[in-house]
Amino acid sequence: MSAATDTLLAVTDLRRSYDGVHAVDGVSFHVDRGRITGLIGPNGAGKSTVLGMVAGAIRPSAGSILLNQTDIAGWPSYKVARRGVGRTFQQSGDFSAMTVMENLLTARPGQRGDSLRGALLGKRYWRAEEDALIARATDLVRRFDMTSMANELGGSLSGGQRRLLEIMRALMSDPEFLLLDEPMAGVNPALGERIGDYLLELRDGGLSMMLVEHEMSIVEKLCDPIIVMAQGKILSQGTMTQIRADQKVIDAYLNG
Amino acid sequence: MSTAWAFYISTVLVYLGVNTMACWGLNLQYGYTGILNFAYIIFLSAGGYTAAVLTLGPKTEGGYQQYVFGLNLPFPLPIIAGGVVGGLLSAVVGAIALRRLRSDYQAMVFLVISIIATTVVTNDVGLFNGPAGLSLIPKPLDTVVNLSLVGYQWFYVGVTAVICAVVYAFVRRITRSPLGRSMRAVRDHEHAAAALGKNVAAIRMTSFIVGGVIAGISGAVLVSFISAWSPGGWLYQETFVLFTAIIVGGTANNAGAALGALLVPVLFLETTRFLPPIGRPGLTDALQWVAVGSLALIFLWFWPRGVLPERKRVINIPDLTSPPVAIPTTVTTAADHAGRAE
Amino acid sequence: MFMQALGFGLITASILAIGAVGFTTQFGVTNILNLAYGEVMTASAFAAYIAVSRGLNPWWGLAVGGVFGALFSFALNRGLYTPFIRRGSKLFVMIIVTIAVSLIVQNMLQVVWGPQFYSIHADPGTTVHVLGMVFTTTQLYIILIAALALVALHSLLRFSRIGKAMRATASDAELARNCGIQTKRVVDLAWLLSGLLCGIAGVALVMELGSFQSTTGGAFLVPIIAAAVLGGVGQIYGAMLGGLIIGIATELAAVYVNPEYKDVVAFGILIVVLLIRPQGILAEVASQKEVAA
Repeated sequence: MSAATDTLLAVTDLRRSYDGVHAVDGVSFHVDRGRITGLIGPNGAGKSTVLGMVAGAIRPSAGSILLNQTDIAGWPSYKVARRGVGRTFQQSGDFSAMTVMENLLTARPGQRGDSLRGALLGKRYWRAEEDALIARATDLVRRFDMTSMANELGGSLSGGQRRLLEIMRALMSDPEFLLLDEPMAGVNPALGERIGDYLLELRDGGLSMMLVEHEMSIVEKLCDPIIVMAQGKILSQGTMTQIRADQKVIDAYLNG
Repeated sequence: MSTAWAFYISTVLVYLGVNTMACWGLNLQYGYTGILNFAYIIFLSAGGYTAAVLTLGPKTEGGYQQYVFGLNLPFPLPIIAGGVVGGLLSAVVGAIALRRLRSDYQAMVFLVISIIATTVVTNDVGLFNGPAGLSLIPKPLDTVVNLSLVGYQWFYVGVTAVICAVVYAFVRRITRSPLGRSMRAVRDHEHAAAALGKNVAAIRMTSFIVGGVIAGISGAVLVSFISAWSPGGWLYQETFVLFTAIIVGGTANNAGAALGALLVPVLFLETTRFLPPIGRPGLTDALQWVAVGSLALIFLWFWPRGVLPERKRVINIPDLTSPPVAIPTTVTTAADHAGRAE
Repeated sequence: MFMQALGFGLITASILAIGAVGFTTQFGVTNILNLAYGEVMTASAFAAYIAVSRGLNPWWGLAVGGVFGALFSFALNRGLYTPFIRRGSKLFVMIIVTIAVSLIVQNMLQVVWGPQFYSIHADPGTTVHVLGMVFTTTQLYIILIAALALVALHSLLRFSRIGKAMRATASDAELARNCGIQTKRVVDLAWLLSGLLCGIAGVALVMELGSFQSTTGGAFLVPIIAAAVLGGVGQIYGAMLGGLIIGIATELAAVYVNPEYKDVVAFGILIVVLLIRPQGILAEVASQKEVAA
């Protein structure tokens, strides 16, 4: 029974095909609370597709995705997000014409001023909540050392800073589960290190994550357990040592 | 001031007000939310038509105009009704046309809807009196205020200004609120907005309908002023003039939209009235269109963000000198252990 | 009655097919929705008119129109569209650009030529009866030209090196470039071919209509786009099929429903296709890939 409360996400026989091509071909795994689960594999393995289906951005062809025992498969992404799931994007997902602070303020769902009625009622109606959000955003900005960029437009940030912004933004809504799609891609190593440290801190604070990544060093540092995919299926799961020793994995990486 | 001048200037001012409201509505849809509504003109037209048929008296036997209703309603009811109809029509068109489509296909869908609307309206005599349209619409409050011809003009300028102020208040509340922020998020990256819990479809529809209501009001105000409505005055190309206006003035900026309304439909097109009529009839009109098209291209090339670009909203960060406050969530308790050089 | 309508439909379909194939060739390669296409048709018709009024045989006028269309389209791309794309203009900026061009061209034509109607007369020849449909020899020639143009284009795309390069670029511009294909040349050719067919369609259209003015081509734009999108972006045969369907559907609607609403049929088909199946009948998914220059 204790296993049930530790399992945050349970995916069963997840599938997705495009015009007869099986991008994801019957994938089953679970994600435990409080850990960073890695999802790795050669190009075209289907990792991003799996992430997309969990996030609600891609519709599964079949299978179930249980988030805290609720099946979210096929749900639109905004509904999944409101259930406490955050995500970052492979390519820049920031709002480039808005400042860093605005990016963060957007990130809290269910704001009073977010409905038409609330907006028309005017500042007096949503001011208090807005101030609280600004305070929260300010703290995040300080935590992640972005105070100098707080009022800069998202479009003027460097690649690494944008990644950081996306993570910060995902944190604004207090998620339970964070999906990261190659957060270190195109980021200079020093900043990559910092991002990695932040992620570990967040994990220690109780945030569960699933990380799609290519760079083995990053995976090694951050992820436990690790799921290896190839050609739409799961090859192996386990700790880094375990999968390293798995013959199937060795074959896939040598051949794929 | 001579009567002719007074007449002319007051007319231009009313046009300015009408176009400014139209630009605010379109700007909300396109500048803030990223909806390429190339059918915008039909909502202006619908508002104008509604005001017309509600202001007109009942159809007279043997009369030359064909229309429905004719309820002879007093001001400001027809204007409000114009807004309501604009909103309702937007809801219908939006339900059909607003969907996940590549942006240029989306624009095409709206454009074609606009062309269909023009064709249908021009041909349907029963509802719309065919190509001739409706005329002799009584002017609002004319009998109540009982002014001279010029006096009434200035009165109407005042009425238009008041309506503009009301519309502006509404638009401003929306654009500076969290909803306005969500609209811009949808515009910038709809998938990221959805990943943050925003119901993108609902936000788009909200923006579309509010824009439609504003368009309806604008059209109603115009038609009540010029006392006539005809399908030929609301062709799909007119939407392009409004787009050019907000491109020139500056998208996602209410002052920019107002400036664009001043510069393009009003100044640019109106001042050409003063040129002596050259050549054959219709030549100046054609040249105007060439000018509008060229203006759009020039601005898109040299000043794509317009004269008054989207403002950067700076938020004051409270007191940077004090140490970071721990937020009572799981996320930041780890900060206590951080010990990182700040 | 039905057969007669069918006959009209075939002629309209032929002209639509030529135009739609030209449109889809360029759209498939560059991903730009060119709303100025109709106006280039009109301009080409006027070019042919100039030639014919100087004594040239109308069928040579067709060639003049085609060449003019090719050169004009090439110039528009090199001079205007490509520079915008090079700066990273998005799809929706491009659509405003092409609309602006269409407004400028149409109204410049009006400035130069005025609002009156002109005509290019080809001797109708004898009437031919085929299965209850009536055609003049001129009309049959137009249908023949449509068929020939399409066979020629198909051969070019299928068998020539540059044709294959075009198909590759239409499929995946980035990949094609990485394989060493000179996309710039391919794009140039796409616009030339598209313009050539555009011009021919324009002249054929005005020959069939009998008289034309500055707005004639623009009115034909939506049916052409409808045919192209119905058949699938970049699909030559799809565009032909689309032309056939729309040509016949509109003529039948004109006979059996209401001639005023004839155009609405094409518009309606376009909207339905865009909303329900944007990739068209012969599916090649027109995804949100950005423009190629």
